[in-house]
Amino acid sequence: MATSAVEQLEQLGPERRPELPEAIPGTLRLDMREENGRTEHWYLTVHDQRVDVTRSAADAELVIRADREVFDRIAGGRTHLAAALLRNELTVQGDMRLLTLLRRIFPGPAEARHPREVGRDRDVHR
Amino acid sequence: MRQELVHVVAGNAFAVSDAQGDMEIDPHAPVGLFSFDTRFISRWVLTVDGERLHALSRDDMTYFETRFFLVPGTASHYVDANVTVIRHRSIDDSFNERITVLNHSAEPADLLVRMEIGADFADTSEIRSPVPRLTTMSASSADGMLRLRYERERFAREAIVSTTAPGNVDEGGISFRITVPPRGQWITDLHVGMTIRGEAGRDLRSSLESHREQARHDMRAELGEWLGRAPHLVAERDILPTVYEGALTDLAALRYVPLTYPGRVPVGGMPWAMALYGRDAMVTCLQTLPFTPELTPTTLRLLALLQGGRLDDYHDEEPGKILCELRYGESAAFDDQPTAVYYGAADTSPLFVILLDEYERWSGDVELVRELCHPARMALDWIDGYGDLLGDGYLRYQRRNLRNGLVNQTWKNSPRAIVHRDGREPGFPRATCELQGYAYDAKIRGARLAREFWGDPAYADRLEQEAAALKERFNRDFWLPHREHYALALERDGTPVETLTSNLGHLLWSGIVPAERSAALAAHLLGPELFSGWGVRTMADGQLPYNPVGAHLGAVWPSDNSLVAAGLRRYHHDDEAARVAAGIFAVAERLGDSLPEVIAGYPRPVTKYPVRLPAAGRPQSWSAGALLMLLGTILGLRPCGENLLVKPALPEGFGWIELLDIPGRWGHSDAYGRDRSAAADGGHRGRLR
Repeated sequence: MATSAVEQLEQLGPERRPELPEAIPGTLRLDMREENGRTEHWYLTVHDQRVDVTRSAADAELVIRADREVFDRIAGGRTHLAAALLRNELTVQGDMRLLTLLRRIFPGPAEARHPREVGRDRDVHR
Repeated sequence: MRQELVHVVAGNAFAVSDAQGDMEIDPHAPVGLFSFDTRFISRWVLTVDGERLHALSRDDMTYFETRFFLVPGTASHYVDANVTVIRHRSIDDSFNERITVLNHSAEPADLLVRMEIGADFADTSEIRSPVPRLTTMSASSADGMLRLRYERERFAREAIVSTTAPGNVDEGGISFRITVPPRGQWITDLHVGMTIRGEAGRDLRSSLESHREQARHDMRAELGEWLGRAPHLVAERDILPTVYEGALTDLAALRYVPLTYPGRVPVGGMPWAMALYGRDAMVTCLQTLPFTPELTPTTLRLLALLQGGRLDDYHDEEPGKILCELRYGESAAFDDQPTAVYYGAADTSPLFVILLDEYERWSGDVELVRELCHPARMALDWIDGYGDLLGDGYLRYQRRNLRNGLVNQTWKNSPRAIVHRDGREPGFPRATCELQGYAYDAKIRGARLAREFWGDPAYADRLEQEAAALKERFNRDFWLPHREHYALALERDGTPVETLTSNLGHLLWSGIVPAERSAALAAHLLGPELFSGWGVRTMADGQLPYNPVGAHLGAVWPSDNSLVAAGLRRYHHDDEAARVAAGIFAVAERLGDSLPEVIAGYPRPVTKYPVRLPAAGRPQSWSAGALLMLLGTILGLRPCGENLLVKPALPEGFGWIELLDIPGRWGHSDAYGRDRSAAADGGHRGRLR
């Protein structure tokens, strides 16, 4: 179930993603630091609620840098993007508004429940 | 009896000291220098020749600047002191204190001046019991800097203290061995820079003095401009413009620039809520649209960016949900608290739509409505898609974060706020009444936006049908005919929580109440069980959980009352609205300074004076905003097409009022009002009662 950030990016299809804002197009570059010291660049172009993924080190409006392991935790929903930023595990350069797109591109925690599941569960009292 | 605490504030940075200007850890109060939810300085104690100082007087110049006038020694022997010390402090992004030592004698004075300095880097959420942290201190006498630093993994916070006069820096502070000439003075400027590693911030160490002077100058000018942009109030009663300007100044003090967005938004308030709260910020915006509309577009844009994107139990997050709370401290960073982005609020999403629509009505800013179409529709879709927990058409809440999520996810968010008349706790999920009002209002307003600006009449029709169905359902299921008011909430199985509360006023504000039922609600709101004389209590007397000092169980909140009064006027209960407004203004006048978040619910005839609760901070954004909204309500300000409507209904004793240059889609417009007694006897100077 827990897939890596790279797997998530490779699986991203060209379809429209209704949860992405219409009014915030932009380019994001993810700089993933590998354990061997190399950095892998992933380039995301967000437009019309679609995401195009390529491998490129070109300039982007927002550059996000972190260890690959941190990206994996974010992509797997185990670390919230906002907490990673505060923890300084992840650094950003550029248009911070675009950071919120990343939250909607990766899935959330696998075990998260829909509020209605909780609402249906009569045993839960809090 | 505890000493008075003194604060300076700028955005989410603030410093709290005792009356001498000293800061020492106090488990009962957030004493120290704070910024971004971290205490950067926890010890800041000035001594002269080893003695603490005694305060003669103080000049609170502005919200960001204070001067302390002090003499060495204790009260018993200061009278013949030859030395006076002035501490002049100000705060912006950094903290500055100019220490001036005056020698009044004809002889030179050899003195040892020392500032003891320490930092515990406590998170604001743990002031009552700070966790010991391993901090590092490095003192450098060469450049006169003391660096206090805390690191945990890559997270790092640093306070850098520098001085303009040469001093001996050690790991516990800075000492100055000085000789002050006869009738002479000695001065040093201390500067505390606060850095958050990883943030793209400026270098606080560069050209410190110029930066400091510049910042201080700019803040004064900015405050002047802020006040200048707001409408001008002229009133027969001198106190009203004073209260008005105080409220505007509080709002200026409590704006900060978040990391994610380059605009200023309101924080909750001093001292516990110096962070972005979605609800407080949006209510503040709603309260201040005729006065300081610039708060609203930044707040809406920031909240849109931070809108929930995924299902996440720990953060009580769902797609489309609008933020509850945002903090930057260590507990947020390491998920000890869910507050890095917490969504445990069921009212913020409808409030987002309500605010967007209301803002357009005042400003005519169609561009923003188009820009925020997607987040607004996400928020509307959230109401039924995620907020309706049982699928029965009611907006409810039940936390998924069982560790430290909020039990009650409405404005009355204390753990026991939603309770039966006999004290029993209702089961979850809970559908409180005001949530249904907000959801109704959001759908009505969303329909207008969809039809007029988003070009989606089908969506508008659907929202209007849903709103009508909700209103009908609500008035059937929540109405308690034997009590002639609505239930506070419904439990899972539809059992009503029959408690009488101020939430009734929010229902009037939202418009979900049929006209024929409003008089009964007005009678309850102004009846002796709910109305204290100062304002409407959160919960009515005569019910078991009632407690006049319980924040949500009987105390009186100005912010709550501002919505109640607006609701009363919406349904043409003008006298009742005026009485509520008069009560809250009387609180502001009696207490002076800033209006606190909440006062006790004791009957006014008993206490004669508004009783502050120990936990109630001030200034608070939505308390300051409440005064402005009440002013707008009694003047009857309302946008109508391209015009500003004015329909005054002033409380008795207010005399005449002029509010000039009210900004809006009409450019600037004026409003005049006169109370009926003044109108009747030709301007008699009435007394506010």
